[in-house]
Amino acid sequence: MPDPDDHFLARSLEALQENVRRAGPAASAGYTLIGAILLLGGLGHLLDRWAETEPWFLLAGLLTGMVVGFYELAKTVWKP
Amino acid sequence: MNAAQHAEDLPVEDAHATAGHAAGGHGEGEFDAGEVIIEHIANSPLDHPILHGPHIAGIDFSVTKHVMMLWLVAGFLFLVITLATRRFLAQERPIPAGFMNALEAVVQFVRDSMVRPNVGAKWVNTWTPLILTLFVFILTANAVGLVPMFEVLGLVDKAILHTSEESLLNSMLHGGATATANYNVTAALATITFFAIIVAGSMAHGFITHWKNLVPHGLAWPIYILLIPIEVMGMFVKPFALTMRLAANMSGGHIAILAILSLVFIFNQQFGSPLLSMGVGAFVGVPLATGILALEIIVVLVQAYVFALLTSVFVGMAINVHH
Repeated sequence: MPDPDDHFLARSLEALQENVRRAGPAASAGYTLIGAILLLGGLGHLLDRWAETEPWFLLAGLLTGMVVGFYELAKTVWKP
Repeated sequence: MNAAQHAEDLPVEDAHATAGHAAGGHGEGEFDAGEVIIEHIANSPLDHPILHGPHIAGIDFSVTKHVMMLWLVAGFLFLVITLATRRFLAQERPIPAGFMNALEAVVQFVRDSMVRPNVGAKWVNTWTPLILTLFVFILTANAVGLVPMFEVLGLVDKAILHTSEESLLNSMLHGGATATANYNVTAALATITFFAIIVAGSMAHGFITHWKNLVPHGLAWPIYILLIPIEVMGMFVKPFALTMRLAANMSGGHIAILAILSLVFIFNQQFGSPLLSMGVGAFVGVPLATGILALEIIVVLVQAYVFALLTSVFVGMAINVHH
């Protein structure tokens, strides 16, 4: 590989890498937030269909999803 | 990658789709954008697999298109990387050149800027192979999905070969070619991540301590009643987020491209003017599709990168516990 310091493209790539690397935990928290809401909301919806109790399990699932998602977000943000 | 070349191929792809759809005898030449798009995203239907397999314990082992793409990508990577590495190791003076140079750059990049900062110097050599494999495999499977090779095959079949409905070639034309746009594939990949997290924690701290590490120590006991279920759910949510993200990103771009190119046929059907629809294709459809394809090339890279990066972040979280 050529010396990475003197090439414009190589330097841009390096900067991109550094930014994406530092964004890693934030991306993980963001995806976990939406993933938790989707997963637990979906589970609630399935439970509702099975027990025919619409819409209570869906609401409970969405709320639990928000709690789990925000908990993961808080863990990322308030890391010592 | 040559985006312009893809854009040239894609109208062909769509033309084939309409031809195939019309030949399917559904409507009399009527264009249904939704159906065409779904056919290009979804796996091959179960009555048109590539190879009919046996049913074992209620599971259909037929080889569908996405299974074939998975095996093709895995075989291709195994052959190319093993051959390159063996030839490099057999050299007199081990100086990498050509493909080996690029391969080394990728390996070094994954190890030094993905795994080492997250997992730590002690475990970097344990986890680099897994994360590198995930990265290279997802990257190749994503990238193969961008190349419209089966659409070109379909055009050759329709125009020159005229094979029968039941031929092997014809069964390869059903369904899309991006295996990572299938939620089952990404769920399997995320399951690997799920177990990797548990194995990483167990290797670093012992099996029991890993589970104890999930929650912070030394809190009042009522908090644990809340925290333990939340942490257990969080354990399942992380791989789920990986699953949805990769599959949704890979199918989203394809849907956008196909929807824009469908404008040509929708205009033709709505206004009955081929000239107008060709104009729409030339000045709106193809330029927009080219732009989205260029974005797709970035998405292919970034999604493979993010999957590998998040896997290493999660593995690192199980190993370096701070509370």
